[in-house]
Amino acid sequence: MSYAYLFKYIIIGDTGVGKSCLLLQFTDKRFQPVHDLTIGVEFGARMITIDSKQIKLQIWDTAGQEAFRSITRSYYRGAAGALLVYDITRRETFNHLTTWLDDARQHSNSNMVIMLIGNKSDLESRREVKKEEGEAFAREHGLVFMETSAKTAANVEEAFINTAKEIYEKIQEGVFDINNEANGIKIGPQHSPTNPSLPGATGSSGSQGGGCC
Amino acid sequence: MDYFRSGLKSVLGAQPPDQQITGAETVERLVSRVSTSTLLEDRRDACRALKALSKKYRVEVGAHSMDVLKQVLELDRSDCEIIGYCLDTLCNITSKEPFDDENESPLALNVNIGEQFTEMFIKNTENVTLVLSFLEEYDFRVRWPAVKLLTSLLANKPKEIQDIILVSPLGVSKLMDLLSESREVIRNDALLLLINLTKSNANIQKIVAFENAFDRLFEVITEEGLTEGGIVVEDCLILMLNLLKNNTSNINFFKEGSYIQKIAPMLILPENIEEVGWSPQKVSNMHCVLQLVRTLVSPNNPVQIITACQKGLRNASLLEALCNILMASGVPADILTETINTVGEIIRGNLTNQEYFANVMAPSNPPRPAIVVLLMSMVNEKQPFQLRCAVLYCFECFVYKNEIGQGQIIQTLLPSSLGTSDITTGQLLCGGLFSNDSLSNWFAAVAISHCLIDNPAQKEQLLRVMIATNLGAQAVGLLHQSMMHLQQGNRLQSKIGILMLLAMWLAQCQQAVQVFLNIPGAMAFLTAQTSASECDNNEELLQGICALIMGLCVVFNDNSVQNYSKENLSQLIEKRVGLETYCKKLSEISRHEVYAKAAKQPQILAKHSSELLLEFEFCKFFKTFEGVIINALGVQRDLQNGISELSLSEHENALLLQYKELIRDQDKKLHDLQKALTNSQREKEMLKNELDELRQTNSQLNDQNTLLKAQLATNTTSNHIDNNFSGTQIVPPSAPLLQNNENHEELNNLKKELIDKTEELERLRKDQENLLELLTDQDCKLNVFKNRLREFGEVIEDEDSDVGSNSENEV
Ligand SMILES: Nc1nc2c(ncn2[C@@H]2O[C@H](COP(=O)(O)OP(=O)(O)O)[C@@H](O)[C@H]2O)c(=O)[nH]1
Ligand SMILES: [Mg+2]
Repeated sequence: MSYAYLFKYIIIGDTGVGKSCLLLQFTDKRFQPVHDLTIGVEFGARMITIDSKQIKLQIWDTAGQEAFRSITRSYYRGAAGALLVYDITRRETFNHLTTWLDDARQHSNSNMVIMLIGNKSDLESRREVKKEEGEAFAREHGLVFMETSAKTAANVEEAFINTAKEIYEKIQEGVFDINNEANGIKIGPQHSPTNPSLPGATGSSGSQGGGCC
Repeated sequence: MDYFRSGLKSVLGAQPPDQQITGAETVERLVSRVSTSTLLEDRRDACRALKALSKKYRVEVGAHSMDVLKQVLELDRSDCEIIGYCLDTLCNITSKEPFDDENESPLALNVNIGEQFTEMFIKNTENVTLVLSFLEEYDFRVRWPAVKLLTSLLANKPKEIQDIILVSPLGVSKLMDLLSESREVIRNDALLLLINLTKSNANIQKIVAFENAFDRLFEVITEEGLTEGGIVVEDCLILMLNLLKNNTSNINFFKEGSYIQKIAPMLILPENIEEVGWSPQKVSNMHCVLQLVRTLVSPNNPVQIITACQKGLRNASLLEALCNILMASGVPADILTETINTVGEIIRGNLTNQEYFANVMAPSNPPRPAIVVLLMSMVNEKQPFQLRCAVLYCFECFVYKNEIGQGQIIQTLLPSSLGTSDITTGQLLCGGLFSNDSLSNWFAAVAISHCLIDNPAQKEQLLRVMIATNLGAQAVGLLHQSMMHLQQGNRLQSKIGILMLLAMWLAQCQQAVQVFLNIPGAMAFLTAQTSASECDNNEELLQGICALIMGLCVVFNDNSVQNYSKENLSQLIEKRVGLETYCKKLSEISRHEVYAKAAKQPQILAKHSSELLLEFEFCKFFKTFEGVIINALGVQRDLQNGISELSLSEHENALLLQYKELIRDQDKKLHDLQKALTNSQREKEMLKNELDELRQTNSQLNDQNTLLKAQLATNTTSNHIDNNFSGTQIVPPSAPLLQNNENHEELNNLKKELIDKTEELERLRKDQENLLELLTDQDCKLNVFKNRLREFGEVIEDEDSDVGSNSENEV
């Protein structure tokens, strides 16, 4: 339960690209082919380890539809990381990336780490966007890039963890002001002076994976 | 006071003292001054005056000044003073409540002026964004009225304001920042604003949570002294409740963010609680904390959420703290009741927590398990009704999905354990079941029935329970004794309780059915009840459950009792009761209003004890078995009549096929008709919506019309007064009055009266002038003195300009 740092993430991108499936695969290690359409925003969490430090990831999965766009904007400012997802089998979701990126850059804090993700890499036969195109886009806009499959879990862990590493490095370099919670980063409770808890309280052992126990 | 006279003079120019100015005229002049004056000071003075008039002359100010106020908000935003006046003025004219000294316009009575002005103001959503932007201004004169104005707008148009704030960039963020305000008035008002803003809007609730609301709120709660704190603590808790209620995403966030641990300190009673006692505020705070905990583990939440939160609550020692409250002395009854409900929901269906609870001991002498102490209250007539309901609920939660716990309870009923010296749960339940208090009968019956759910082994065990009758004669089985109690008793609540127990006992337990059928008179009783025709006072429920039990005796019958085999019994139902009547009786149960109420939630909710008849698990049970019984009876009949496709002759078979064809056709027609019906209904729905929209537009137009009339009325009234003063001629309010001769006389009288009044007014005006002169004199003197004081080096502050909200009388 105790952690050294807490990072807030958001997942953005067109509807249907697999944002909710990516989150579920990451938090619960399962794939649910028929996923409810996300209404507004849904929350998920998981603990990871970087540099032998426990890091808690709090992730907000957003709805991609235009109608929810303005609601999604409320989440940019307070996030430390963003996964920007497109679907490699649907070119238009790749074409919309600039719109998403502009929106994110405009409303987020300048240090937010953005990870570009081409999802559904298991559907090679239906691929419409080449891996090189994703790489080029990422290079051009200074993003980290990865292709994933929420279905087979390929690269899913890596996507979330690499984003966290990037944030962690920025902290080490002193780029992030960790005392400003508006950046989407919190220092763990044991690092702060007071820790109010009951005399007999036993924090449960660091459980992996939130949601379903 | 002084300000107003001189202020107005400087704003409007000097007025000849005898010229009468109406409120409307004053407002108009002020408005034109605000919009045309190039001097900031002039505009500021005019805005201050508008603010002063905005309560009494709300309609006039609202109707004329909205545009200039918006203009000032945009163009003069660097001057905190003028912005403050504008925001205050807007706040007054949009206020939901009327003001004490507000000029009442008779036409405006049925119009909500505040709402109308709110609607006008927010029509352009940019205006709301503008007000939101003023939250960033640190100056108290701006930030506080901005919060108040938003509160006022939200009170009038909650849905609209929620939607606007939701899409304004950083709208919620700006509000959240206010929770860290060092000036408490602002922080507290912001808290109230957030409470209203988050009501039933999941999207806003999530953003507020994302913006670290829980951290901020727990900080405030800690600063204010936890549950010992004032109403601010209660407000913080209410806001948390808003964020969590039915919001799975936020509950998940709350749990994952380790906020459960932060509740824990609030549930620890101080050592000296009995001396310091429970202030009303502490009771309210405590109630909210308990609600907060219950929201996390509410049976309405998804199962994984409940399980995870139950675990979290145990690990954070909250379950322990709550059990301590349960066993503490001097706890107010309603807090105790809610604590019992809360403990119930924390252990419900969670084996580890249930085990923990089973081992909680009360500090009594000798020490007794907490469950025993609680059950003692449940079967005690003197305890408050709500408390007794809570104990039953908590007990149900304890045995819910808890095979071991169910077994342990039943065990205490068995002969071997009855010999122990101290009271057991079994004794309490048996005592309650057959006591003279019908509510105790009902509670005990329901409690026992819950020990049998999905547990066939315990149904058989319970058959072993023997009850010693008071005659000292041979002991009889619990089932037998229950039947006797039923036949002798005449109180409905008690009977229904016992019948529910019997039904849940006999289902899926052939052995119990066998014992039951052997009880003399048992079947006769059920048959009589089921075939009874009169039903008043909820008797239909009783008859329905009797029918249900008869049906269960058919379904779970092993044909071991002579005369009461499956076949015998179904014939009995068909011949003596009639299948149609039987089905009708059965369906009475689910048609009854208490069924709908009980089936809604596991918790036992009732205002009065007489409302307690059916119960949640029984309703679930009924839903499962109603169909099973009806099927069973149908099948029985078919066998009896020997109808089976195999035994049919060729002719009959052909006939059967024909019928089947017919049925298929009819089925198809039915299906088509249903489709058509659905379409028509949808169309109807659409038309209805359209109609509603039109109605709404209509009513809005009406309101606007009324508002305009009100403004017109106030304008014309003032015109009348002016005319009256300027001459002798009277402008009649309406022409038809004059056509009537009788009215002429009245008119003459009125004329006379008017002349008198005018004279009187003249006199008063003279007086007033004299007074004014005097006042000016005094003012001069005051200034002289002030100057002199200044010369002596005294610091003098100008009087607050706010004071004279009704000082326009002096002009
Ligand atoms: N084959 C495949 N299908 C996926 C993958 N990720 C998501 N999907 C499917 O894509 C659809 C949309 O997924 P969802 O997570 O709801 O998208 P969202 O709108 O971005 O949250 C669903 O039918 C998923 O089953 C993937 O990696 N591989
Ligand atoms: Mg989704």
